[in-house]
Amino acid sequence: MGDNSIYQPKLAEVIYIKDEVTGERAIKTFHVQFLNGDGFEHACGQCAMISVFGRGEAMISIASPPLIKEYKQFSIMRAGRVTSAFHELKVGDVIGVRGPYGNSFPIGDWHGKNLVFIGGGCGLAPIWPVIQTAVKTQDKFNRISVFYGGRSARDIMYKTELEQLRANADIYLSVDKSEEGWHEYCGFVPANIMDKAPSAENAVAITCGPPIMIKFVIQNLKKLGFSDDRIYTTIENKMKCGLGKCGRCNVGKDYVCVSGPVYSWDKLKTLPEEY
Amino acid sequence: MERILDKGHLLDWVATLTAWEVFAPGFQDGIWGYQPVSPSAEVRLEHSNTVQPPKNFTFPQREVFFTYDQIKGEAPKIAPIHPKPKQRVVFGVRPCDGRGLTRMDRVFNEQFQDSYYQTRRAGLAYVGLSCNQPTGPNCFCKSVGGSPVSSEGLDVLMTDLGDRYWVSSVTDLGLALLEVGGSIFSEPAQEDQNQVRATRIAAVSHPQRAVQNTAVVPSVLKESFSSPLWAALAQPCIGCGICTFLCPTCHCFDINDENASSSPLRGSRVRTWDNCQFPDFTMHSSGHNPRGTLASRLRQRVCHKFQYFHENFGVLQCTGCGRCISECPVGIDILSVVNQVCSAQVNGE
Repeated sequence: MGDNSIYQPKLAEVIYIKDEVTGERAIKTFHVQFLNGDGFEHACGQCAMISVFGRGEAMISIASPPLIKEYKQFSIMRAGRVTSAFHELKVGDVIGVRGPYGNSFPIGDWHGKNLVFIGGGCGLAPIWPVIQTAVKTQDKFNRISVFYGGRSARDIMYKTELEQLRANADIYLSVDKSEEGWHEYCGFVPANIMDKAPSAENAVAITCGPPIMIKFVIQNLKKLGFSDDRIYTTIENKMKCGLGKCGRCNVGKDYVCVSGPVYSWDKLKTLPEEY
Repeated sequence: MERILDKGHLLDWVATLTAWEVFAPGFQDGIWGYQPVSPSAEVRLEHSNTVQPPKNFTFPQREVFFTYDQIKGEAPKIAPIHPKPKQRVVFGVRPCDGRGLTRMDRVFNEQFQDSYYQTRRAGLAYVGLSCNQPTGPNCFCKSVGGSPVSSEGLDVLMTDLGDRYWVSSVTDLGLALLEVGGSIFSEPAQEDQNQVRATRIAAVSHPQRAVQNTAVVPSVLKESFSSPLWAALAQPCIGCGICTFLCPTCHCFDINDENASSSPLRGSRVRTWDNCQFPDFTMHSSGHNPRGTLASRLRQRVCHKFQYFHENFGVLQCTGCGRCISECPVGIDILSVVNQVCSAQVNGE
């Protein structure tokens, strides 16, 4: 019976590790492959509770698109006890994975539309599977643009992949302050949006990043004419169970682990601001 | 089934319940708590209410999910741990705590089913004891949809008639417990019927403290999120968390790895009660904290009980046992908080 416990992780082997960002705000990308024929399918935007045994669990968004079945990708910023443990892992190490948790982006509703993605810091990871899915099924969508900013050039994650994306999408990168060798936009992500002013017509905006960035991005998207139901974001609160039971990730009546992490702004704005 | 049990035969009934582990309130080290009953022990049901609710029977403070055992360079061996099914009967459960169990059922049985809770719950019977008078000064079950004679969440409800108990089965499991007792019970006479009716009417008519205008509390609280009263009322709070630890319906928990050895790596993944009154409960590892103030944490506790749970399940989570009021070391009073915040909102203060 214990094998069926909702708290029991499946075992998965780390098959690939990449240093995305080094230094103070280090981010590493991991590909993990389930052992013993285990596994699960996920949808864009869903998360998994992943663990280093002996160090604990953390809720991390699944950064690989659902069409990749061989592995799950997680891009993790080193911040606390568990994420630091992940940064010590080597290829071949075995971790625990349970999930998938939460809702997903309603990509099916966006067919025929322009997609405007806006990410900041490690907030590119939760929307990455949507970007990947959109690009790989591009005939279903109109124009795809990606705004993404880091504090500095060394904080930009998925550098190579973003360069490759230029063939299929408009990419607008930014860093907070000007620095030598940087030829794209200098300034915060919300300002870059106003600078490029993507059209709201027939468009959906999807944003993820630090709470303060999301706040100003949404303000600016509204100035550009995006209606509240055409703005999507994800919220991250601290989670322990992923199942709507442990009681800490709630925003009002909603447990983000179950009712989120994906919200349209017209829904999110009705909830108390506790995220 | 309705039966009469002479008080002198209570232990005889307990003795027949050989297929069950039996627990009853006991007075030890100055406090009332649920204790295992041995054949020779006395069973005392004159408790007001136990300091801790009986939630440990379904949701123990510490629960091991599995153990891990890993030799360096090898995959960890995971051994699931699951409670063995047990037949347990708990005597003397007050109606507020019976209703508390039904609130916990909503959390652990719906959507994602918690097999740990369910295993413990499946074999559990509550033999409740109705409250002929409020068991303490802070009882307020009547204003949160309950009653001192409510059988919700109970399998058997007993009512004290002086030298004997009126015993009603509520569930099939309760009926089985009565049938096991067999001839220890007697048929109720007309006089017993009259007395239990009068006793219950008197019980229900006892004045209690009360939530005001309960029906509108969830919607009024929703409008009161930004009330300045939250900060004022939370001001004395020391964040000890006793209010939630002693609550029959608080279910928040933490999950952690507890290592017994680091090389080879051995340990257990463990669930423990956690507490929304602690600042690190919601703190992100970045330091950002959605509920970083005492005010926001008091508001969370109160709104969870009186708004969010109602929005999600259609019933209030609070069952009016009054423990969080009686045991708070700084006098924070959930009734007074709800009434003050709602009254200020309604009166536009």
